[in-house]
Amino acid sequence: MHQNIVHKICRIYTNDQASHNDLFQEVTIQLWKAYPKFRGDSKFSTWMYRVALNTAITLYRKKKRSIQTQDYDTVHFRIQAQEYDPKEEQQLSLMYNAVKELNDIDKALVFLYLEDKNYKEISETLGISEVNARVKMNRVKTKLKKILNP
Amino acid sequence: MDELEFLKRDWKKQDGNYPKLSYDQLYKMILKKSSSIVRWIFIISILEFVFWGILTVCLADQEYWIEMEKIHLKGFTIGLYIIGYIITFYFIYRFYRNFRKITATDSASVLMENIINTRKTVKYYIGYVLISTGFTGLVYTFFTFKYHMASMEVKNTSLYEFDYTQWLIFIGAFLVFMLVFLGLIWLFYKLLYGILLNRLQKNYKELKRLEIEN
Repeated sequence: MHQNIVHKICRIYTNDQASHNDLFQEVTIQLWKAYPKFRGDSKFSTWMYRVALNTAITLYRKKKRSIQTQDYDTVHFRIQAQEYDPKEEQQLSLMYNAVKELNDIDKALVFLYLEDKNYKEISETLGISEVNARVKMNRVKTKLKKILNP
Repeated sequence: MDELEFLKRDWKKQDGNYPKLSYDQLYKMILKKSSSIVRWIFIISILEFVFWGILTVCLADQEYWIEMEKIHLKGFTIGLYIIGYIITFYFIYRFYRNFRKITATDSASVLMENIINTRKTVKYYIGYVLISTGFTGLVYTFFTFKYHMASMEVKNTSLYEFDYTQWLIFIGAFLVFMLVFLGLIWLFYKLLYGILLNRLQKNYKELKRLEIEN
């Protein structure tokens, strides 16, 4: 369950399998190191999202300066299920690519939104006010619309 | 439909599709961190060896050896080089062995033992550098003073001879200089290896925690 969260963060922040594995390793180690400092002030999952996203954002910024990675199949982890719908698949692919174009903080917002977090939890995880989280989320939606319909 | 809602629907479907790592696999990730630190210690030791090697070759020209002969230290210097290189090679070998051991192990207790060994080796190495530098400094100063006068063309040597108090002042000043010099070397090594050793110490504590928890 917890490993899935890390995998999903890696999916948002990396473009290929090798970077995904690297980030997964880094986030896992950071979580392991930070665990003794978890004081129970917030929910465990909120704390975990915070540490994992911080690590991903820090490494993402470092990487962005150094290496440009190759794009991997955006549907890499998806099972090609029976209900495979090429049109839907194409739209999803476009959506994932649009998310990849967002900046690191916007990606974190989208990630938490996709994880079905409410604005209170999003604001706690990212250390911003609830109002600010709402405003930012609306901006992200507008940005995504612009990327998808230029 | 809202694009993000559409994406969210797909996002939720993927929960079961990610690979799951066992506890052992996660543990090996932490081991890898330690081995990379020890590898850096090994690499730095080689770089340091190469640096001093090049410096020695560049400095030891014809004139240097003539000077050494004047103060009767040519044989001593050659011997010192040979012994110095043998000991340094031995330490490089030890660093390499530590690195190999840490890479090869996947047991926490063995790794902790190896971390302690690596820290010990680095401490011994720094100790060796400090003692050898101090000893060489003393020998060279003593011989320079003993034979330097003989090689100088001075008519009235009494002008250059120290009385008892002057000797005391000289020895005191020399000791202070040596202490400061050795202190600087110590500081240099503390910076060079200290950061890596601290990280290694942290890993050690983490591994210990892992042992206690399981």
